[in-house]
Amino acid sequence: MPDHWGFVLAAYGLTAVVLAAYWRHLVRRERELAALRPRRPNPGPATGAAQGSPS
Amino acid sequence: MNHRILGAAAVSVLVAGLVMALGVAPREVAQGNVQRIMYVHVPAILIGYLAFAVVLVASVAYLVRRGESADRLAHASAEVGVVFTGINIATGAIWGKSTWGTWWTWDARLTSVAIMFVIYLGYLLLRGMLEDRERAARFAAVLGIVAALDIPLVHFSVYWWRTLHQPPTMLKPGAAAMAPAFAGALAVNVVAFALLYTYLVLKRVHVLRLEQEVLA
Repeated sequence: MPDHWGFVLAAYGLTAVVLAAYWRHLVRRERELAALRPRRPNPGPATGAAQGSPS
Repeated sequence: MNHRILGAAAVSVLVAGLVMALGVAPREVAQGNVQRIMYVHVPAILIGYLAFAVVLVASVAYLVRRGESADRLAHASAEVGVVFTGINIATGAIWGKSTWGTWWTWDARLTSVAIMFVIYLGYLLLRGMLEDRERAARFAAVLGIVAALDIPLVHFSVYWWRTLHQPPTMLKPGAAAMAPAFAGALAVNVVAFALLYTYLVLKRVHVLRLEQEVLA
């Protein structure tokens, strides 16, 4: 049987393209959502008691 | 494990698998070099089976405990499983064209894999169609359990019906029929795909969690 290297490269190339496209989709979605995520309120500066200083 | 470390490990083993498949593994006598498609085609369906088995377990866990993390895992695993099953079908068509002379035939194995692919596409569509998250999770969990019945049907179809497709290369009763040089390359690629599956599922779970936070 002749060696169909073209078919082999097509199969590997298609696999690489599909996996890379799916990974890129996830990374993009993650960035979009991280930007939209409501920020948690800032706890503010630590008090002396929280730092363990003697009162 | 950190996502980045897992991703880097998956890429490293994928590169090793590529070298094994295209360089180290010997040329098969009957089919020639086109048999090298096996190193992508077989790991893709094995990871598809794994992904849908995870959907089954996570769906049962969701119905028992109603935990959102189990639902997110089922959703993520189904989506990644569909990607790997799609790769299996596409690479199988390319391999079929070069060896059988046709891209597609209504053979028991090919047809049962296509049905499995469509069932899990339907699973993802169902999740997308229902706005009530709890209801979508419950319906999807039931479908995720029922759909898993197709996995043994796909795997054993080559024994139960007369097919053009060859018997399973892995996960079959009896001793391994493959020479170590081929089996080694295949094993490395199965590990590479398993690492990639784990990485993609964890990433998808994280994205689902972010989606729920944003929509809440």
